[in-house]
Amino acid sequence: MNPDLNYEYALLLPEFILAATAALVLFADAFRQELRVSRRLLPWLAVLGALVAGVVSLAYLDRSDDFAELLTIDDFTTFFRVLFAAIVVVLILGSHEFVERHVRHVGEFYALLLLATVGAIFMSAARELITAYIAIELLSFSLYVAVSLTLGDRRSGEASLKYVLLGGVASAMLLYGLSLLYGIAGSTQYAEIGAAFAAGTADFEWALVLSLALLIGGLGFKASAVPFHMWTPDAYEGAPLPITAFLSATSKAAIVALLLRVFGGPLLPAIDEWQWMMATLAVLTMAFGNLIALQQSNIKRLLAYSSIGQVGYMLMAVTAISFETSSALLLHVAGYLVTNLAVFAAVIAVHNRTGDERIAGFRGLAETQPYLALVLTAGLFSLAGMPLFAGFATKFILFQAVASEGFLWLSVVAVIASTVSLYYYLQVIRQMYLYPPDGDAARWRPSFTALATTGGLLLGVVFIGLYAGPLFRLADGAATALFV
Amino acid sequence: MIPLENFLLLSAALFAIGFYGVLARRSAILILMSVELMLAAVSINLVAFAAYLDADGLTGMIFAIFVITVAAAEVGLALGIVLRLYRERRTANVDAADELKW
Repeated sequence: MNPDLNYEYALLLPEFILAATAALVLFADAFRQELRVSRRLLPWLAVLGALVAGVVSLAYLDRSDDFAELLTIDDFTTFFRVLFAAIVVVLILGSHEFVERHVRHVGEFYALLLLATVGAIFMSAARELITAYIAIELLSFSLYVAVSLTLGDRRSGEASLKYVLLGGVASAMLLYGLSLLYGIAGSTQYAEIGAAFAAGTADFEWALVLSLALLIGGLGFKASAVPFHMWTPDAYEGAPLPITAFLSATSKAAIVALLLRVFGGPLLPAIDEWQWMMATLAVLTMAFGNLIALQQSNIKRLLAYSSIGQVGYMLMAVTAISFETSSALLLHVAGYLVTNLAVFAAVIAVHNRTGDERIAGFRGLAETQPYLALVLTAGLFSLAGMPLFAGFATKFILFQAVASEGFLWLSVVAVIASTVSLYYYLQVIRQMYLYPPDGDAARWRPSFTALATTGGLLLGVVFIGLYAGPLFRLADGAATALFV
Repeated sequence: MIPLENFLLLSAALFAIGFYGVLARRSAILILMSVELMLAAVSINLVAFAAYLDADGLTGMIFAIFVITVAAAEVGLALGIVLRLYRERRTANVDAADELKW
C-alpha cells in the first residue's frame, strides 16, 4: 500500500488529454455561435487531441506504475494506447465528410468517440475488477449513444435500443459473475484473485463454474461472440459508418486486451474450469460468424458477421493462452485493426459518393474509381488471409502458435472458417470487377483526406504482410509485460 | 445470525426473476425495470460477501455503490433512447423495432 498516494500521475496524461479534448469539442460545439467556431474545425480539434495523446504515451514508453494495483501503465497498455489513439486519428480523417452529412450532433459524435477511446484504454490497463467494469461501461455507454446518431434513419434508433437493452442484460450477467468471483477470492484485485486461486478454492467449485460462465457470457456479449452476438449486425447496420468501423476495431481490440489481462493473469490457475467454455465459444463464433456472413446483401451487415468471425480467431488464441499465443494474438489484433480500417475507409469513401449500402452498390467500382477498388480488394483479401497481405502473416503466426499449444483441432477449424470467409469477401470483389457500373459510369475522385487515409492504410496492410518483423517485436514486448 | 446462504438465495432468486422479466416483457420500460432487478441482485451479493467474507469489508460495499451509480446512468441513457423510439413509432413496445433483421 502507498498511503501517500504518490503515484506517477503524469503517466495518465494521454487519457487526461483525450478526455479534455472531448470536453473541449463539446464546449466548442455548444457555444459555436458565441465563439465563432466553424463546425468544420471540430474534427481537426479531435484529431489533434488524439495525436498528442498518442505521442505522449510513446514518450512514457519505459516507465510504469501500478496505481495501488488499480491499473497498470506498462508496455502492454502503451501498445493498445497508441493503437487506439491512431484508430481515432485515422477514423476521423477518413470520415469527417461522412459525419458532416450523415450524423446529427457532430460535436457529441467526436466527443463520444474520444471518450470511448479512454474507456478502451482503461480496459487494457485495468488490474482490478471495479476499474475494469467502469472502463467497459465507459466504452459501451459512449457507443450506445453514438450508434443512435445517424441522421434521418429510423434504423439508427432501433439499433441503439436493441444494443442498450441487450447490453444492460449482459452487464448484469457480467456483474453477477464478478460478484461471485469477489465472494470466492475475497478481493477485486487481479493479483490477489490470482493468489487465492493458486492457493486452491476447491470449496467453491460450483460457484466458480457459475461465475466463470456468467463472466464469459457477459464479456462474450461485448466481444460479440456467438451465441451472444444478436445485437451486432443490427447495431452495425443502424450505426453511422464510422461508428460501425469503431465497433469492429477499437471495441473488439479493447475486449481482447481485457480478456488477456483477466484470463492470462488472475484466472490462469483456474484454466481447467474455463478453457472448455472459451473453446466452445471460439468454435461457435468462427463457424456461425462466417456461415451467416455468406447470405448478406448489405455491406455493413456483411462486415458485422465478418468481424464476428474474426473475433472467433481471437477467442481461439485466448483459449490456448500462453506467452507465445499472446504475442501472436497481439500481432494479429494490430494487423486486423489496420486491415479493417482500410476496408472501412474505402467503404466510407465510396459511400460518400454513392450513398449506397448494398453490396450491389459496389458494381463497377473498378471502372469508376479503380484506386478505391484496389484498396478494398487488398483489405478484403487481407481479412480472408491471402498471402502478400497483413492477414496472411498474422493469421499464419496466430494459427501456428495455437496449434503448438496442443490445440491443433482449433487451428484446423480456424483454417476452414478462413476458407469459407474468402467466398463472401470475393462476392464484394466480384461486384467491383466483373459488373459494369449501374448508373453513372463517369470517373470520380475521392477527397484528399480519403485518398491519404486509404493510401496510408493500404501501405500498412502490404507492409505488415511482407515484413511483419518490427510489429511482431512490439507485440512480443507488450506480451512480455503481461507475463512478468 | 442470518447465514450467508440466505442472502445468496435471495439474490439468485431476484436475478432469475429479473432475467425472466427481460425475456417475457415486451415493453422497453419493463425490460429496463427487469434489468434493474438483476443489478439489485448483484448489489445484494456484493454487500453480503463484503459483510461475511472480506476482512475489512470495504471493497464489496464500494463496488455496490459503483453498481448503483452506473445503473442509474444506464437507465437515464436507455430511457432517452426509448423516448426516441416512441417519437418515431408512437410505442415503447420492442416488437415495433423490427426493421433490422438477419
